[in-house]
Amino acid sequence: MTVTQLLDRFISVDLLRSLEIFCPELILSATVVLLLLCRMIGVDRRIPACWIALAGSLAAFLGVVVQLRFMQSPGLELPSDFFGWAIGGAVRGLAALFHLTEEGVGTPGPYFTGLMMHDALAVMFRLGLLLLLVLTLSLTVLTGLPDQEDGADFYTLLLGAVVGMLMATGVNHLLMLFLSIEMMSVPSYAMVGYLKGRRQSSEAALKFVVYGAGSAGVMLYGLSLLAGLFGTANFHEFAARFTVAMAGEPFSLTSGVVILTLLGVAMLFVGIAFKLSLVPFHFWCPDAFEGASAEVAGFLSIASKAAVFGALLRFATAFTGDGESIRQLTSYLGVGLAVVGAASMTLGNLAAYTQSNLKRMLAYSTIAHAGYMVLAVAAMMVFRSAAPGGLLGSRDPLQESVLAVEGLIYYLAVYLFMNLMAFAAVAFIRNETYREDIDACRGLITGNFWTQLVCVALLLSFASLIGIPPLGGFFAKFLIFRSIFVAGYLHPVLWGVLAIAGLNTVISLFYYFRVMRAVFILPRAENQRPLEMPGVVAAYSVIIALPIFLLGASPLQARLSETARAISASLFY
Amino acid sequence: MSDVGLTPYLIVAAVLFVCGIVCMATKRNAIGVLMGVELVLNGANLNLIAFSRYGQLGFDGQAIAMFVIVLAAAEAAVALAIVLNFYNNHLTVDVDQARQLNS
Repeated sequence: MTVTQLLDRFISVDLLRSLEIFCPELILSATVVLLLLCRMIGVDRRIPACWIALAGSLAAFLGVVVQLRFMQSPGLELPSDFFGWAIGGAVRGLAALFHLTEEGVGTPGPYFTGLMMHDALAVMFRLGLLLLLVLTLSLTVLTGLPDQEDGADFYTLLLGAVVGMLMATGVNHLLMLFLSIEMMSVPSYAMVGYLKGRRQSSEAALKFVVYGAGSAGVMLYGLSLLAGLFGTANFHEFAARFTVAMAGEPFSLTSGVVILTLLGVAMLFVGIAFKLSLVPFHFWCPDAFEGASAEVAGFLSIASKAAVFGALLRFATAFTGDGESIRQLTSYLGVGLAVVGAASMTLGNLAAYTQSNLKRMLAYSTIAHAGYMVLAVAAMMVFRSAAPGGLLGSRDPLQESVLAVEGLIYYLAVYLFMNLMAFAAVAFIRNETYREDIDACRGLITGNFWTQLVCVALLLSFASLIGIPPLGGFFAKFLIFRSIFVAGYLHPVLWGVLAIAGLNTVISLFYYFRVMRAVFILPRAENQRPLEMPGVVAAYSVIIALPIFLLGASPLQARLSETARAISASLFY
Repeated sequence: MSDVGLTPYLIVAAVLFVCGIVCMATKRNAIGVLMGVELVLNGANLNLIAFSRYGQLGFDGQAIAMFVIVLAAAEAAVALAIVLNFYNNHLTVDVDQARQLNS
């Protein structure tokens, strides 16, 4: 087949539908171009870059909202009261504006000739990522991170990274996996080094880029091995090709195909684990977060994780299928992931305890949380490896894997708010005190009313990060722990992992408590005045902190859980 | 010229990969580390091209290799800018001097 034929086929098959689905990414890319153009002709002196970026990301966000509406209810059936009518009208108007149609974005399935996958999971992840983008943009406007001169640069990088992340949630092909991970990494290297005059910032960026480039290289080599072994780069063909390559041999660790597959997957996982900051590829995380500004660190800790978890889910499900050998492979990978998760959370929580810098402490807490989250993927893999009617008794393995992924999605949704709140609080404290260590928080509660509100929001976020009952973080942890417990019936190693995870939750209490003690109990140092944060900062904190509470102790909890289950089901059925 | 088959390509690619990894691990100069990364990427590229010529990978392998070449250039541009910024702040490109942030 010649290139011309390939192009013709591409245009005739699904180009229009693909472009519709790709609309949020296109809007963001157009915004990036617009930002650079405005700067070139000097418009950015009259219209600050942040407003252009905010408008662009809001438009992309609305685009995804419309996609979600089309996806949820094909005929757009809404309650026939005023609200239903208004929502329906708004969705139709937006759909017309973005040229979205029901046949295009409403039907799940692969697009761009199978390179990408469009389903409820991708749409939901993109919705969350764009929400985070809007929140991060507002945060940088509030804290004044980029000045007038450099604003366009910063927002270009931020939006560019988000384009890569949006793509990562729908990968269905090894090329897209590598491309999207690189597209989110390269701008984030520059964002970490954004405070270019500071020694620490340049050091952080150097470490990040050296480790990042190295892990990307290893990942690409693993990718080439897998592609060569299977003779395809499409995820949905992996399981079948593996079975063919095994040629009826029993699964054993001495078989060449198995060794090569495990090697390829392990090398590819280096790149993924690097982005998720899992042990043993976490070195960069504390250094990069300490050197970067708190806003950037908060954004990276949530967004790149969420996006890569989306990609990891798809990559992991590619190695599941029917057949004895593929089941054993799935089981190996699942247990391996669980061990990596247990190591990450233990190291993260133990190392966080000795830190005095807030961002560094939160970086280790991020590592620990990545460990909890990867357990959900591990449980999913172990369930998928179960033969029907096996050790699970009356439980359906497929249903259980849906529940495991539900836990991950729930966790990510809550994590968005709780981690963003924690890093936003660091940024607010830095703006007032010019310090970022735990001592700077001493007696924060003695400040004015707005400062006290921020303190309460920070308390909510930390309590949720620990997993204290009525808050969102508790339910998220509970769902994952439950899945791990059930998966233990299939593979007793997971019970050990569960015990480690439970112990870790207790350890994590101490270092979060140290910060809380400084904020609420310790007196302010004598030479320091009480803080007076502006009201708008408190308003932002309340907006972020409210969902942490609502996603745990209100009917929204059940709604989120239901939605997460529906989304995760879209991955399997 | 006779066709040498798949294996020699894979061996050369593996040698390139190992050279790159050793280079990344042992070089103290940041530019040297980045050169190691380039070796690793090109080793993987050679693999992909060989698989697309001799295996069943077809156009996919060549397409991936093209994208990797472009990405490697982009990554090198950003990485060199960051190294230059590090030099401006520290007056060295020795990665061992980057230890201010250790706990």
